[in-house]
Parts: sequence; structure tokens; C-alpha cells
Amino acid sequence: MPTRSWANAPHATLRWVRADLLARRVQAILTVAVVAGVVAALLLAAMLLEGTTNPWQGLFARTHGADVMLRFGYGTDLAKLDALPGVTKVGTPSTIASATLEQGATESPVELRAMRPTEPAMSAPLVTAGRWLRAGDSPADASGAVLEASFAAAEHVGVGMRVKVVGVDGNTATITVVGLAYTSDQDFYPQATPGLIWVLPATLQQVEKIPSETEEVVGLRVADPSANAIGQVVQEVYNAYHTTTEASPVEQVATSQQVDASMASNDRLLGLLLGLFGIIALIAALYAIANVTASRVLVQRRDIAMLGALGFTPGQVVWALLVEQTALGVAASALGLAVAWTAIRTPAFIGPPDGVPVALAPLPAPWMALAAAVTVATVAVATVVPAWRAGRVSPVAAVAFTPPRGRLSRLARIGLLVRLPVPLVLGARDAFTRRLPAALTIVGVAIPMAMITIAMTCWTTLDGFTSDPGRIDLAAALTVYPGSESIHAEQAQLARDPQIAADYPGAEFDTLLPGATATFTARAMGTSTSPYPFDVAQGAMFDSYNEAVAGQGLLDLLHYHVGDWVEVTVDGVPMIFDIVGRTLDPANNGDVLDFGLDALAFNGAADQPQFYSLVLKPGIDPSAARQQLLRMSGDRLQVQQAANPADGLGVLKVVIIIAIAALAIIGLANLLTATAVGIGDHLHEAGVLAAIGLTPRQVTATLVVNTTILTAFGAAVGTAAGLAVAPLLVNAQGQASGLGWGIAMMPSVGTIAAMLAITLTVATAAALLLARRSARAPEPLAPPRRPLATPRSSA
Amino acid sequence: MTGSAPAPVPVMLRTRKLVKEYRADGLCVEALRGVDIELAFGEFVAVMGPSGSGKSTLLHVIGGLAAATSGEVWLRGQRVDALSKRDWAIQRRRHIGYVFQTANLLSTMTVADNVELPAILSGVSARQARQRREELLDDLGLTDKARVAPSRLSGGEQQRVALARALAHHPSLLLADEPTGNLDSGNTRDVLRLLRRTHAEGQAILLVTHDARVASNADRVINLYDGMVADDWSFG
Repeated sequence: MPTRSWANAPHATLRWVRADLLARRVQAILTVAVVAGVVAALLLAAMLLEGTTNPWQGLFARTHGADVMLRFGYGTDLAKLDALPGVTKVGTPSTIASATLEQGATESPVELRAMRPTEPAMSAPLVTAGRWLRAGDSPADASGAVLEASFAAAEHVGVGMRVKVVGVDGNTATITVVGLAYTSDQDFYPQATPGLIWVLPATLQQVEKIPSETEEVVGLRVADPSANAIGQVVQEVYNAYHTTTEASPVEQVATSQQVDASMASNDRLLGLLLGLFGIIALIAALYAIANVTASRVLVQRRDIAMLGALGFTPGQVVWALLVEQTALGVAASALGLAVAWTAIRTPAFIGPPDGVPVALAPLPAPWMALAAAVTVATVAVATVVPAWRAGRVSPVAAVAFTPPRGRLSRLARIGLLVRLPVPLVLGARDAFTRRLPAALTIVGVAIPMAMITIAMTCWTTLDGFTSDPGRIDLAAALTVYPGSESIHAEQAQLARDPQIAADYPGAEFDTLLPGATATFTARAMGTSTSPYPFDVAQGAMFDSYNEAVAGQGLLDLLHYHVGDWVEVTVDGVPMIFDIVGRTLDPANNGDVLDFGLDALAFNGAADQPQFYSLVLKPGIDPSAARQQLLRMSGDRLQVQQAANPADGLGVLKVVIIIAIAALAIIGLANLLTATAVGIGDHLHEAGVLAAIGLTPRQVTATLVVNTTILTAFGAAVGTAAGLAVAPLLVNAQGQASGLGWGIAMMPSVGTIAAMLAITLTVATAAALLLARRSARAPEPLAPPRRPLATPRSSA
Repeated sequence: MTGSAPAPVPVMLRTRKLVKEYRADGLCVEALRGVDIELAFGEFVAVMGPSGSGKSTLLHVIGGLAAATSGEVWLRGQRVDALSKRDWAIQRRRHIGYVFQTANLLSTMTVADNVELPAILSGVSARQARQRREELLDDLGLTDKARVAPSRLSGGEQQRVALARALAHHPSLLLADEPTGNLDSGNTRDVLRLLRRTHAEGQAILLVTHDARVASNADRVINLYDGMVADDWSFG
């Protein structure tokens, strides 16, 4: 007898693994697909998070951005840049000139940049609306221009509009907007000013006729984009152009790192909410992977026990399963990574067209590798535990499942007594007898349901921002700034306008915190007797000239609470306020203090209103009302639309949809595997149940009820847990971002009922399908015992 | 004879005062109540007895699939009743072939793979395992079923495949629980012929059966009743 048994154990293991994978290849493919989907979703979510909170990376890649942006005075010799060490590429220089954009009464400083119609090799602006410049966009022919997209959005300028540009010396040009584009060379407007407009050189000359008043801007690419290396290159630039006789021609230097840091989102709420989703996604993902893996092992418990009987040691059994599952895990990781890698290469931007462009930012390779490693590790861990337990079970276990007391339980007897349907009573027993698998099924449904509930709460909260902006102090959709006439004439006009329900005078001051460590916004909104309609989340509204309400952000900064007194210096005048209430205010991340205009007068400060906040009558569209006001005032008024934080959070709705879809798939996968295990375990009873008189329908019903009861319970538990936890989570995010506790809005009863109904229907349908299919397959019943052929002869 | 001293005569299998109790929620079932049996090398012994007499349990304990409550089991002069699960697995791999009452074939492997697996596990090369498998399936009339999945076989065919699997690695001891339980007379004949042949080649067989015709092929018959040996007699 050859005794190479130790060397052949792996051989036998591989034989079994290969046979098992082939025999259950459909389930294997499904497992790989689910895990790959989870990995891809996680990676995409991470890339979306990265791309949203820091759009610079995506823009830089797509626009072939410059690492260093230099600004030189007119006539500088730029040839020296080619020779600088560390510089790999020098871009095409562009001429720039300062000007002013005039739109009605509004004037905004802009910078004109001359570019050729052909796309430059470096810093090619990314056109997101309309088109790029063409040779025909010269002054003779409508003077086409491309505006920087965030500037255009702030100024409400769209493609096709004509605007007037006035040079420093008064030369005017009327330009037609032919396109909107983004660049990675500077931060978005208004963080970076002035607004940027790209024009043909001829158009620029029309506005700025004196060449020496222009400047040159040129970009550099460096060999080593690290902070130190770029710093050295910048130093080289200064050195190259250093003169002792006159001022350096280097006007300004900006590095890509500065732009990167500047572009990183200041919106704390967005960052926090996305982070919350990241953690939820991670937990759900790991759980899903573990569940899919463990279920795969549980389904073949009998075969695993047989392996032991044949001579596989428990350790070898675990090895066999580990090899099999890890192979699947590696395949799934690779597939998930491939999907994520492909997604980065798609040029699509996500997000509202007016808002900040969101691209999927590529994750660094070490992170991708980490994701793959964590996936495979989760698969391995989720395999080992059930494999070890299964490997120690003998195939001739004396008793498979013991009812708690060995006879019909009290509940079951009562159930049958009151004539509950037999399938219902039989189907429910799993919850009591097979406690561990039942618990796993319940948890497998409860966790995704809880997370979906949290996601729905986030959605409803965001919807609430848009549908009921009064909750976050955005009751006034429009703000009017005075034009050239006196503010009183404006007010008379506004009072007559039929679209306007109410108007509130207001003034705004950037104020230093006591202690001068930061600034906040002190606002006079309305008067004490007729205050702006703040929605007070805690405490009461101010109704006297020494009372004020504050945002959460400010309370956090000062470490104050509602009821404290605060002393501030507003517009040079010291004032004392009693903080009587807290509002949910997204302005300035909640760093706001609001009081009545008469408080200014009381304290001896100037109380001229700087603007009027207009609350429109219900049903009136803000942008239409704005156009109307502009028309009626003959363009003498400046009317701005209030920015709703929900606009910037639009990308979050995309994330929520993706998250809910992924969680639904995960929940479904958990459900299907749990159902398969449950039905497989009970199939041998089907014959017995039929024998004792249950109709085929009742037998199928028993199998189905088995799963449906557990699913229903799991869904209910999960939804309840989600409803309990969601407001805490969302409010916590709101508090941490400075917006304040109290932003959470719960999904409606109808939505929740629909969610539960859908879950139950899907679960029942899946169980029905599986039960029908299993019932049709030939049942491997035990061979019937033959009666004794011959009587036993005894001594 | 003293307690744990090795037996003076070398035997294939020896049990002493073997007791097996099953406990479930306060219920205690004594399946074996002090069984003493011996099996010489190359001996064919049949175990008979009514249902509930403990025949299957005896095979389970001897094969290491169930742990004895008390007593001793000696295999090839080595005490095995206290072996760990791991060491038992290695014992089975090398020395024991088991035919269950229900065939218990691996559902995800073909008939051929099922039969070859124990052989490969015990250390033979793939080619030798295949030759052995072809030989056994041929003896049992199952050559055309080699690439078939077990779920597509009849109960009798599964049982024969299980027997082939048990013999594939030339075990020292074959433990068979009702191997002809649901076979027709023709297949029973084939199985008996194979058993007789391997016995003639020196295979030790401990076989549980109801069928007197099957038992008549054995060298000895042990009768179990209520978990104890009631009778132990040999043919001629």
C-alpha cells in the first residue's frame, strides 16, 4: 500500500474542490457576481466620495492641467522656462487682461484670457455646455466667448446670452456666450476671483488695446509632482528671472496643490453625510460577503460531513473549503476591481449641470489593493467558522434537530387548537427549533432593511430642504440688493408687487468672534416686532432688541447654549444679546447670529437695510419671479436667488439611489441563500408531510411559510431599528456640520409600508419559486426498509 | 485478562465491554451495553439482529464515526477508541472502508470521482486509482454510469457505488451496513460475488445484514439483541 498519503491529501482536496465548483457552477458564478458587485460598489462609492469632496483630481486629469501656473508681465522672455531643471513641459502662453462684466445693474470683475481655437496641450478647459471657441468667434462676427462654468452659474449667464465686457480704459465689447467650461488652474468662483472668460486674441485686443497693460500666463508640468519638488521648481523660476535692477517680471505663482486644497469641499455636511454612507456601505458590504460565503458552506453540510467519514481530517476539510472559497473571492475581487477601473475611464460627469462637476476620482493603487485584500480576507474568515463546525459533525449524527422539549410545543398546540392553518404552524417552527439558522436569516434581512431605512431618511431630509426651505431659514427665496436709487423707493415698489408675500429688511456683517479666533456672520433680519420667519428648532424667536437666535455652528464655536448672553462687536459697535433660540441655518456652516434691525439702532449703529429678503407667495417659481422683478425694475435692481444647500447635495441623492439598490441586492442575495438552505434542509420532510395527509399545496406552503415568517420578522426588526437609529444619525451629522440638530425628516408611513410590502412580496415569490423547483427534482429518499426475509434463528 | 493490556493473539479488530449511550434532552438510549467481539485478519463476520439491537451503532463506533461512551476498541493491535477526530480520519483513510445504510455519495462528484477519491486520499496515483475504479465498477456492472451524477442513480445503484468506493483504497477492514438492503436478486448476486472475491483475497469484512443468504457467505455470524451479543457462531 503506497504510503504517500500526506502528499496526496492536497491532490484529493483539489479533486473535490474542482468537482464541487463545476457541479455548482451557477451558484459559484452568482457568488462571484454578488461579491464583485459589492466590491465594485464600494470602490465606486469611495471614488465618488473622493471626487465629490475634492473635484480637483478629476478635473486635473481631464484637462491635462498644469502643476505650476505662472503669471508674467508683458514682454517677458519665456524661453528660459524650457531650460529649468525639473520642468518636463511648458504650456502655450496666453495673454490676459482685466475687465468688467456688466449685466444690467450688476458689475463683476473678470479676467479675459486669449486662447486659440485649437485645444491646447496643457490646461485645456473642459467644456460642459455649448462648444469651445472657433475661428469664426472674432469681433467681426459676434465675438464668441467661453465662460468659466462656476462663474457663469453665479452670474446666471447661459449659453447663447450676450453680455457686455468693459475694459479698464472703457473699451467695450459685446460677447456672445458660446460655451461653458471648467479648468483645474484655479478654484471655483467665487472662491477664486475674478471670473474667467476665454476669448479669441482679437476679442481681447478689442477690450484692451494697450499691450503693455496685459499679462502672460503660462503653465508648467514637472517631473516630480511632490510638494518639495514643486517648491524647488518655483524657486528655480524666481531665480531664473531674478534681477537686481528692476522688479521681477514674475507677477504671481500658483501651484496645483494650492488649487487642490482650495477646491476641496467646504461643505461639511456633504462630507459628513457621504462619510456616513461610506461606513454604512462598508458594514453592509462585509456582512453581505460573509453571509454569501457562509451560506455556500452551509448548503453542503452533508457532503462536508461525508468528507470526514472518508478520511479527510477536520483540518483538511477546512482547507478544502478555504481553497474553494478563496478562489472565488480572488476572482470576485479581480472582477470588482476591473469594473471600478473601467468606470474611471468613462468621461461622464455626475451632478447638477450648474453645480460643481463631480467626477469619479481614481483611488491610489494601494487602496485598491487593500480593498481586494479585505474582500479575500472576509471570504476566508466567513468560510473558516462554518467549515470548522461542519467538519466536526459526523454523517451519522444521532439526531438532526431537536425540538426544545421533545414534544409538540405549547405554542404549536395552541395554534392548531385555534385552527390556524397547518402550514402556518409547521412553517413557524423553524424559528424555535433551528434557532441559529433562523437568527442568521433574520439578521441577513434586518441589516439591509435598517440601512435602507437610514438611506430613505436621508433622502426625505434632503427633499425637505427643497420642499420646505423654511425649516432651514430659507423662507425667502429671493434677496434684493439696492440699485442706484435709494432703498426706500425700492421698498415701495416691492410692497406693491403681487408675487411677494412679505419683505424683510436686512443687513449682514462679518464679525470677529470674541477672542478674535474666527469670524461669523452677524445678521439683522427683519425687526424685533416683525422678524424674518426663522424656524426655531430650540427655544424661541427674538422679540426684543437685545435678543437674538444663533445657528448651531456659532454655538459650537463659542461653546454656548441657548439662554446664554453673548457680547459682540458688530460694525464697530459693541452689543449684548440674549441667545433665546437656535435655528437650523446652512449659511456659513451655521456660524450665524440673527437679531432685529432695530437692535442696531438701539445700540447706536447704522441701521440702513443693505438688502431685502423676499418671501414669495406659495406656488410662485423663484427664477420666474426674479426675471419678472428685473424686468419691472428696468434692470435697476440686483436680485439674487437663495442658494439651497440641497442643490449642492444633489450628488448625495445619486449616492442614495446607488446605496439603496446595492442594499436591496445584498438583502435579496441573503434572502435567496437563506431560503435555499432552509428548503434544502426540509425537503426530506416533504414526503413525510404528504404521507400524513397534507396536500401538495399545503406542503409547498409549509416550505414557503418557513422563510416568509423569518423574512417578515427580519424586515420588521430591521425597519424598526432603522427608524430608531436614522434620526439620531442624520441629526448627528447635521449637528457636526454646524447646521444643527433637528434636520432629520422621517420617511412617510406610506413609504415604509411600501418598502415592507415589496420586501415581503419578493421574499414570498423567491421562496415559492425555489420550493416549486426543489419539489420537482427527484427526492433522494432513504431506501425503504425491507421486511425480514427470513425469521431470525436464535440459539 | 487485565484492563488495557494488548490481546495476546494478533487480531484485526477487538472490542471489550463496548458501551454506547445516546442522550437527547434527558432521554438516554443505551444502544450498546457491553459488546465484546473479535475479528481475525481476513475474517468475514456477519452481524445480525432485530431493529434496534445496535448493529449500526456497533459499526459506527468501530469506524470512529461515533465515540464510545466506555469500553475499548482495538484495531490491528492499536487502541483506537480514544483517538482524536483527526487521527480517526487518518485511520479511516488507510485502514477502513465504510458502506453506509444510505449510500451517502458526494453529491457534487460523479460516480467515478466518488469511487476514486478515497484511493487518492490514501496515497495511490491518479492512474492507479482510475484502474482500480474501472475494475470495481466493472465487477458491479456500473461501468456505463461512471460519468453520471449520484442523484440520477437508483437507490440500488447508489448502494453499489458506495461499496465500490469503500473498496477502492484496499482497506484492511470493510465495514458494511446492509449493503444489499435495497438490491434486487441479480444485483445482490453481483455484490456477494465481489464480497466473496475480496474476502478470498484476504479482506476482513464486518457486515450487518438482515438477509440470511448474505450472512451465509460469512465465516461467522454474531447476533445482537438489545445492545448485547446474544450469539456468536461459525459456519462449519
